[in-house]
Amino acid sequence: MMPHDLHAMYSAKAIEYLIAVAFLLLFVPFWSLLNGGPAARRVKVAKRALVPRLVEWFNVPENVYYHPGHAWARVEPDGYVRVGMDDFARKLVGPLAGLRLPAPGTRVEQSEPGWALLADDRAIDMLSPVDGIVVETNAEAFRSDRPPDPYGRDWLLKIKPEKLIANLKTLIVNGTERRWMELNADTLRLRLSPNLGLLYQDGGAPVDGLARTIDPENWDELAREYFLTSEE
Amino acid sequence: MAETLTRTATIRPWVTEKILMGLPPRAYARSLVTPGNAIVALILLVGLPIIVCRFVFGLASVTNLSQTTPWGLWIGLDVLCGVALAAGGYVLASTVYLFGLKHYYPVLRPAILTGFLGYLFVVIGLMADLGQPWRISYPVIRSYGVTSVMFLVGWHVILYLTVQFLEFCPAVFEWLGCSRVRRWAASLTIGATVFGVILSTLHQSALGALFLLAPTKLHPLWYSPFVPVFFFISSIAGGLSMVIVESAVSHRIFRNQVDPEQHVDLDRITLGLGQAASVVLFTYFFLKLLGLADGNRWDLLATPLGAWFLVEVLGFVLLPCFLFAHAVRRRNARLARAAAVVSVAGIVLNRLNVSIVAFNWNVAERYVPSWMEIVVSITIITIGVQTFRWIVNRMPVLREHPDYAGTH
Amino acid sequence: MDLSRRTFFKIAGVASATAVAGQPAVATASPDVRAVLVDTTRCIGCRACEAACAEANGLPGPVGEPAVNTRRVTDPRTFTVVSTLVPNGDAETRFVKTQCMHCVDPSCASACLVRALEKTPEGPVIYHPELCLGCRYCMVACPFDGPKYEYDRAIPYVRKCEFCAERQAAGQPPACVSVCPSGALRFGTRAELLDEARTRIYQNPDRYVHRVYGEHEVGGTSWLYLADRPFEELGFRADLGETPYPAYTWPFLSAVPLVLTLWPPFLMGLYAFTRTRESAADAEDSGEEVRHG
Repeated sequence: MMPHDLHAMYSAKAIEYLIAVAFLLLFVPFWSLLNGGPAARRVKVAKRALVPRLVEWFNVPENVYYHPGHAWARVEPDGYVRVGMDDFARKLVGPLAGLRLPAPGTRVEQSEPGWALLADDRAIDMLSPVDGIVVETNAEAFRSDRPPDPYGRDWLLKIKPEKLIANLKTLIVNGTERRWMELNADTLRLRLSPNLGLLYQDGGAPVDGLARTIDPENWDELAREYFLTSEE
Repeated sequence: MAETLTRTATIRPWVTEKILMGLPPRAYARSLVTPGNAIVALILLVGLPIIVCRFVFGLASVTNLSQTTPWGLWIGLDVLCGVALAAGGYVLASTVYLFGLKHYYPVLRPAILTGFLGYLFVVIGLMADLGQPWRISYPVIRSYGVTSVMFLVGWHVILYLTVQFLEFCPAVFEWLGCSRVRRWAASLTIGATVFGVILSTLHQSALGALFLLAPTKLHPLWYSPFVPVFFFISSIAGGLSMVIVESAVSHRIFRNQVDPEQHVDLDRITLGLGQAASVVLFTYFFLKLLGLADGNRWDLLATPLGAWFLVEVLGFVLLPCFLFAHAVRRRNARLARAAAVVSVAGIVLNRLNVSIVAFNWNVAERYVPSWMEIVVSITIITIGVQTFRWIVNRMPVLREHPDYAGTH
Repeated sequence: MDLSRRTFFKIAGVASATAVAGQPAVATASPDVRAVLVDTTRCIGCRACEAACAEANGLPGPVGEPAVNTRRVTDPRTFTVVSTLVPNGDAETRFVKTQCMHCVDPSCASACLVRALEKTPEGPVIYHPELCLGCRYCMVACPFDGPKYEYDRAIPYVRKCEFCAERQAAGQPPACVSVCPSGALRFGTRAELLDEARTRIYQNPDRYVHRVYGEHEVGGTSWLYLADRPFEELGFRADLGETPYPAYTWPFLSAVPLVLTLWPPFLMGLYAFTRTRESAADAEDSGEEVRHG
């Protein structure tokens, strides 16, 4: 039974207050422990606005993860990954007849074909930048009646990631994308040089559908080279 | 003549669609023959006669209850644990409707159903334990023992069953296709949620308060004036953990029910619930420490029962707390599910400790439930699970009814 | 005086309703409450009280000789028992009669959710079998394990000594007291008997332990005991404390109306707050302004 003598009560109450204070002190680090973690720290979450940044002729915004096959990935605040093709890819291929996107529920793997671009009766695969399950596809991507917005309105897939940290480690980000895009532009310029006159007639901006301009017969092979989806 | 014809013509297809899940009677009967159902049938075959025996020959013929141990497994497990683990209903309802976290909606209906069925089968378990169960309505209609905590428990359970039923009604009316009634039922949701939280606070804590009247019978490490608060807070953790476990099991077993188009992100929901459970368990641990300090019997920790108390508090409260935290940090849903299992076990352990192990701790003859008591408990739980299965297979619980999608 | 059963219950009902309406934190016994003083030094272990009790209640009487040196317990068919004890190396045997203690503030009566157990103002804690549902909470609550349950019956009831409430209403002492040959049992008002007990202790300070068991235990009981050995040696619980057990639940029961009053505004406030935040976020997304009326 509880003793109600003053001595016992003093020590009991003192210990109670100490425990309550300890709880308050420990609660703050516990809360941050719960909400922190490697996942939260290492992943750059997409902010609302994408600031366009031109590298050579191509828009390569910051805070976007790029795959060497010219797909991009952005981590959304709700944990999903939004994926699409970058401006280089879009300008390379030009106007699309359609897209072959995987159905929701399909599993995609990083650096394995994820979707296909359709133009001129040819299908060009592109590699997925992350591993995961497709949860949503953009039916409105690259509609012909409006200007293309490859990083915004014309996103392609929303993916639930499976190995996000590992995947992101292999993608191009944090300034490296600038150099990478410069290299891409250089190789393209070399191919274009025989037709240099055609290209720079109006002052510098390339024609939409660069691949078709360079090699009208086998433009899809050229695109696949850059997208790393050539059939060997 | 023509009228009766049309009536039967509409009843038969209704039964086939709603009850037999679209199968002709013979095909439905054949579909029932599965190994799982065979086990259920076996359990019922053994359990139901025992229940009959209990009513014909009295409690002594089936239980090990004694004059010093008036409450046994049926109270400790079916009633106390059942109520604590059915707490998912009010916790998830608050999460979705009061805290506005709509992305938990996919697990809300199963949680409410678990809550409703949980309490229903608590009452059924209680009816097996009561000496004269046909008098169970007396505290409501005949005589009001307002000084009794048990009176409160009784009233709250009855009111709460009603509230949970009302919260589940929209699903029933969607199944039956009565959209007007369904709209009326849905309009009651916020009121039902608030009322449900109030009732739950009271009866979860009241079950703990029952033991306030037994200071010399309950071991000092478990007896505390805070025991109502302990029961209430642990019921929140129990509810959250139970929803994690139940949703994981349901999504596996009722895979055909879950709509792939809906792309329910169960992992994300699990981790979110796990995060909340971690905080609650952390708080609960410190509450238990405060209880220890208030009781001022630290010397008892050195006894065997003291060691058992430490096992309960360190192994089944603090451990799952950290497992959840780790799982949330690493975004590891599988670890969160494991932590949930440990947490559920901890709640069960606590309720059994308070009602059986630490109760009458200083009496020489220990109570051990008889095999028949165990079988009856299993039978009641099995019937509860079967009811859950029956409802989930027919009503829009794990999926959205196509006619009412998006109207939440 | 010939009280009909119904009148008795009516009076008892009104009386207990008024008793319950008050909120005793400490048991206050009316001095006129009936009680019994059990002087264990005078008990010769004849067990006439057991036989009289059985006869008065229609129970089978005591059978055979009881085991020596075990504290016997009552059961559903034996409302009182006399234990034969040989305490701690003492040659002399002691006889201790036990039964329901008819506490001043009984935990069983406060525990009963249908008021099947009722403390009458005269003293006895009586049982209303027509109300009892058999939840057995009274058994959990009683520190003396007074109420016993008929587990072996299809229609079971709680059974315990009812202090011969009907005999008392008719002006007679309880059956056990009326047959006690040695004067170990004495019936009277609690105040009288406490005086008597204290007098006996004062007059024979070496004979008695200086304590009346039941005077303060759990707020006081109607059955009071005197002994010449420490009460623990005679099987009495000494760790029960002086607070009546119902006082332990009172803080919780008082909190209930507070929860019923405070939770609704708190929860609805939370709901309103969440809703405003949601509509503000939605409006922000769609570029609208949010008006607060």
